[in-house]
Amino acid sequence: MSAIQIMKKNRLLIIVGVVYATLFATYPQQASKAVSNSVYYLVEMFEVLPVIFILTVIIEAWIPKEVIIKRFGEKSGFMGNMLSLMLGSISAGPIYAAFPISKMLLSKGASVANVVIVLSSWAVIKVPMLANEAKFLGVQFMAVRWILTVVAIFLMAYIIGRLIKKENMTVSIEDHEKEWLEVKKEYCIGCGICVKLLPDVYELNQNKAQVKALPVKGKYIEAIQQSIEKCPTKAITFYGDKTT
Amino acid sequence: MDIFTMSFWGVSLILIVSSFIKSKRKTFEAMKKTKRMMGNMLGEIIAIIFIIGLVLTLIPPESIKSVLGSSNTILATIVAAVAGSVTLIPAFLAFPLVGSFVDVGASIVPAVAFLTTLTMVGVVTFPLEKKEFGFKFAMTRNVLSFVAALFIAMVMGVIL
Repeated sequence: MSAIQIMKKNRLLIIVGVVYATLFATYPQQASKAVSNSVYYLVEMFEVLPVIFILTVIIEAWIPKEVIIKRFGEKSGFMGNMLSLMLGSISAGPIYAAFPISKMLLSKGASVANVVIVLSSWAVIKVPMLANEAKFLGVQFMAVRWILTVVAIFLMAYIIGRLIKKENMTVSIEDHEKEWLEVKKEYCIGCGICVKLLPDVYELNQNKAQVKALPVKGKYIEAIQQSIEKCPTKAITFYGDKTT
Repeated sequence: MDIFTMSFWGVSLILIVSSFIKSKRKTFEAMKKTKRMMGNMLGEIIAIIFIIGLVLTLIPPESIKSVLGSSNTILATIVAAVAGSVTLIPAFLAFPLVGSFVDVGASIVPAVAFLTTLTMVGVVTFPLEKKEFGFKFAMTRNVLSFVAALFIAMVMGVIL
């Protein structure tokens, strides 16, 4: 990956780094306070993200698409909503921890409405939090807020499910920027035919061809097919235009 | 780590071990895919965490008290809802803070609005949500959550 690509990918992180550097130069006291404030959340992240990782892996590996579609899909109805509510409520961690699992569910066929329920209940309804709320604000306060929140979440899910179609969402979990066209290094003999055919796409690096820049969606499709056929060792793989 | 998170660790460790026993290949493949997906999020999550630290420093949790205590309830509710949207105060801090206020006799409407937007609306996490689910989804979800928080607050003000 080139330096520019890395920078582009981590734009937000770089901006935050610059802000902190400036703050350290001007108000070092405030800056170190901000860092120590962040530590609590960093700890929380390391407590929660490995668990999220494992659970997402389990869903990906063992729960077939058909099951997700049946339980969480467009036709799962009220039971699907209740199941989503339960999944979100027994969760751990802040709302961003819900993103990987929600995305996995979405890509495996869950409906938009149910993903909204998972995300929202993940953020708001948590057993330890409810206990805390009852302790400081009273059981009645907690119970009424809980009921109203569930009603609101269901309404929101219904509205968003109506407004937003899945096709408009970025759901593909493949890293398609890099992988839909690939030269397998183990097979490439560095003959350079592909580079000659498509100098805009391929380049030679240490006697091996590699994808230099991915062409714009749909462009060069024929030439790419040709380069795959011409490659003497069949080292070029084309996974279809996943960018669509 | 609270007992809840701990039991999650227990459950997921059991799951991943049995997954490995059942099929090493399948587990590794799923891990690769998930790693790629979460790796893309990790940088932003860390950035978000440091933004939270910054916001907490510039707007300390105690400053919400002056908002909740305003005599103009409608204005206070809206300001409290906005404050809840941009900040991410840990719940174990937010509840006692709000509780101490309601105990003194302040209106609960701004308090509820604040508590609800605090968790449901995420201005800070918006960039990540946008990247992962698309602008339209993230925008609609956050705006609706904001409206829902105001609605919940008003209904609670009437009931309680």
